[in-house]
Amino acid sequence: MLSNTKPMDEHVGELLSGYIDGELTQQQRQRVEIHCGNCGKCESELSALRALRRDVSNSRLSEYGEDVWREKMDDTTVKVTRSIGWLLFLGAVLICGGIGIYAFVFESSMGTFEKLLIGAVYGGLALLFISVLRQRLIERKADKYKDVEI
Amino acid sequence: MTIMRQELTQLGGGAHALATQLLGNADDAADAVHDAFEAVLRRPQAYDSRKGPLKPWFLRVVRNRCLDMIRRRRPSAMPVEELIDPGTTPEEALGVDQRRMAIKQALAMIPAEKRELIVLRDYLDLSYAQIADVLGIAQGTVMSRLHRSRIALKEALDNDAQ
Ligand SMILES: [Zn+2]
Repeated sequence: MLSNTKPMDEHVGELLSGYIDGELTQQQRQRVEIHCGNCGKCESELSALRALRRDVSNSRLSEYGEDVWREKMDDTTVKVTRSIGWLLFLGAVLICGGIGIYAFVFESSMGTFEKLLIGAVYGGLALLFISVLRQRLIERKADKYKDVEI
Repeated sequence: MTIMRQELTQLGGGAHALATQLLGNADDAADAVHDAFEAVLRRPQAYDSRKGPLKPWFLRVVRNRCLDMIRRRRPSAMPVEELIDPGTTPEEALGVDQRRMAIKQALAMIPAEKRELIVLRDYLDLSYAQIADVLGIAQGTVMSRLHRSRIALKEALDNDAQ
């Protein structure tokens, strides 16, 4: 625990940073103030650090305006909304398909041969669709956004 | 959700400044912020407003994204001379704003882990507790680390001025 009973000749060092940032306890603040009142070195370091802090906060470390971020945010919103839309759509298609297949197999009055034939047509389409979807998913796997840590 | 999007949009510039300091390149930094936007919009529930403001939380998301990009980057992909080029404004190019320019150059001369502390505190105005949170370090170590970083920046500035 740092206290104000430390000898005067000990420089306050990092407390100077804490001081200008307003992150010190009352006791530490007093120690800095008393010390800087008696130590020219720390006093001038304090004002140098203050100036440095001001200069950094006045600097411009990004040249992109807010319109750039608004645009990027809009792009992202569209992208995310679209992917949620697709998810809903595919979910609904799967459920409807399931109900349709059930009705076709168990409730249709068609003969077995016709059922198999029609089943082959739709089964083939489904396989094609799944293979395309699989390829897309593999491409998505390489998607850089996938594992952004939160 | 709309409010969150607006807030994130406003945080874009600050997050970009941090990302630029970490990645050393303004375009990569913009990608990192863009990716972070997407990560957050996909899982907005990951942010819990009861645990604190959006700003430090979002900065941590951006920082994680940057670290991820650095890890994936081939070592040869970042030539030294390309290190830190946040772009030069016309005023700076004309020497009107030499102090700003000097700060940027001095930042480029100190290690990234010192740069980010200074940017988080002095540019983005985070408290020590928030900085500890963003960096995943103990709050008690922030002051000493920050102080060392400032001393390093000051030396770089002084050397540059000579
Ligand atoms: Zn002293």
